[in-house]
Amino acid sequence: MNDNRYYKILVGLAVAGLIIGTWGVANVILYGKRATALGSYVPWGLWVAVYLFFLGLTAGAFLITILTYVFRVKIFAPIGPLSAFTVLVAITCEVIIISFDLGHFSRVWRFVVNPGWTSMIFWMGVFTNAMIIIYALELYFLLRRNLVEGAQREGTPARWLYRLLSFGKTEFTEADHVADHRRVRLLSIISLPVGLIFYGINGAIFAILLNRPIWNGALTPLLFIVTALLSGGALTTFLTYIFKIDDALVHYLGHVIRFLLVVFLFLEALQFFVGYKTGMVINRASLDIIAFGPYWWVFWVVHILLGSAVPLYLLSFRHESAHAVAAACFLIIITFIAVRLNFVIPDQAVYKLEGLEATFYHWRLRTDQYFPNLNEWLVSLWVFSLGLLAFMLGSRYLPIVSAGKGEAHHVEA
Amino acid sequence: MTRVLPLEDALLRMQRDLKRALAKDPRQIRWGMVIDLSRCIGCHACTLGCVAENKLPPGVVYRVVVEEEMGHYPMVRWRFVPRPCLHCQNPPCTKVCPVHATYSDEQGVVRVDYNKCIGCRYCLVACPYAARTSDFGERYTNDTPELPGKLFGRRAAFAGYEQRLSAEYGRRWPDRNGGSPFGNARKCHFCLHRLKVGMLPACVTSCIGRATIFGDRTDPESLIFEALGSPRLFRLKEELGTQPAVYYLK
Ligand code: SF4
Ligand code: SF4
Repeated sequence: MNDNRYYKILVGLAVAGLIIGTWGVANVILYGKRATALGSYVPWGLWVAVYLFFLGLTAGAFLITILTYVFRVKIFAPIGPLSAFTVLVAITCEVIIISFDLGHFSRVWRFVVNPGWTSMIFWMGVFTNAMIIIYALELYFLLRRNLVEGAQREGTPARWLYRLLSFGKTEFTEADHVADHRRVRLLSIISLPVGLIFYGINGAIFAILLNRPIWNGALTPLLFIVTALLSGGALTTFLTYIFKIDDALVHYLGHVIRFLLVVFLFLEALQFFVGYKTGMVINRASLDIIAFGPYWWVFWVVHILLGSAVPLYLLSFRHESAHAVAAACFLIIITFIAVRLNFVIPDQAVYKLEGLEATFYHWRLRTDQYFPNLNEWLVSLWVFSLGLLAFMLGSRYLPIVSAGKGEAHHVEA
Repeated sequence: MTRVLPLEDALLRMQRDLKRALAKDPRQIRWGMVIDLSRCIGCHACTLGCVAENKLPPGVVYRVVVEEEMGHYPMVRWRFVPRPCLHCQNPPCTKVCPVHATYSDEQGVVRVDYNKCIGCRYCLVACPYAARTSDFGERYTNDTPELPGKLFGRRAAFAGYEQRLSAEYGRRWPDRNGGSPFGNARKCHFCLHRLKVGMLPACVTSCIGRATIFGDRTDPESLIFEALGSPRLFRLKEELGTQPAVYYLK
């Protein structure tokens, strides 16, 4: 990644994605939700799936910082700053994509003025903000020494940024460093319950709903926590490999990811087993859509084969090779959107009132016809590209990789 | 002179019931509806009456008539189940709203405050009866050609229907500032704006089978009170505990 060529290619891709995606963004701004293929019986579509995808990616930092600073597993310390930065980028993308999904984004201030205490979406908003604050502070304290030192050094790229973020501090003593680490540890300890509730609440948004065969149930929040850790952990592992931080670390992370993948698959199997065994038509119909519906290949080929079986093989039998572990993690990440789509859509794609499909025809009143349209894909591309660009620029101009060096010595500080 | 005709139209009685209810302390009123399935002939007039009353755009519908085929050939019959918002007394939709835009009022009507709704559509997925729709901003006249003359063409149609303001919740929509109800969750509101001026909901007056009975559930003299005593009474998905204020007669 230090390689300039890769950097340029990725920045180029991000810029191209932003330019192409602008068409969709403009359409959505001009025509509102009319520019989407959503309907009233499938009111949540691709953007909610992408939102959940980004949500998962944020869990990487959660996993790493908890392991490092709460449980003091020193080996993960070098990737603390990188993973905290990733969480900020992913959570920003998450907020942006869900903002596009709102019918009236201009009214978000109502969250503050008319808080709906009983609503899981309200609490999601609260905990999203809490996570942003925690990780922004955590990243800042992890980077501060490098920021202050970089501001003083001639030739630091984007030195003005370092100066700005140093807030006038010109010297950084060992005592400052120790104090910052105490703060990081404190923030990590706070992030443990906050993060668990954050991921759990996102699951609860779906879990509490009546008459929703796949979503409803106590398993969903747990599944959300595990899926978040899995996809977020996979991203962090992949980045550790790409940034050539430490191959031994990639190896250790590979074990963690394998464990999470097995737990996730077990929970998913439970969901299918219980769903089918209830014998309820609505449960079977939703599960049938996932496994045998028109997009069966998304489940079997993309998720089970490419996103689970191949990574499991690589993580189990080729785990000595950092290359193989990184490939497994890459597969998990890119196929994860399939997992999210299969969670969001099939439950809605079954009529909840018998006979509803035969009455009052309008294509926005169908459950079986939703497929994201071009605008929805373009907006998603735009947000992904924005995230990629922010990540690339951040990794180049902020000391997120260098700040991790020697970090292990300070974990016990 | 008796005040009741021996064979009077149920509408007349409901009209009297309504007048009596409106004279009460508003806090004592509990609006409700009973739909007699044996009287519904599946004409969908209530659906259209509602669409016209509330100037609903394409893809937005408050009251559908669900058609169910019962039995096996050759012993088959149709059953028609009109489904407005059921105005649940324990509504799952209001509890999920992050900004309190949808709520039950003191008369048991589940409302949407159009100017508060952020359009997250959580209430749509939370309603187990699929009674809510989202206004995606569709217009019948979108992409239609303009024709010369005043009677036909996009502009004429636009002025004739789509530009007409709807009076939902006693206000004029669409709202000029925020654009509501575009982008909002929308649903049946028991035609509160009509009730306010002593008129029955549009679905009730347009029901040619007189299958829809509306009124104050707490008024012992009312037709709805009588209907609520029927052994044929049931509610949709009773097991969910939503306690709809819209009942059905088998
Ligand atoms: S029928 Fe649906 S929209 Fe109406 S009150 Fe019940 S849950 Fe809410
Ligand atoms: S769509 Fe509107 S009324 Fe429904 S939950 Fe969201 S903000 Fe509330």
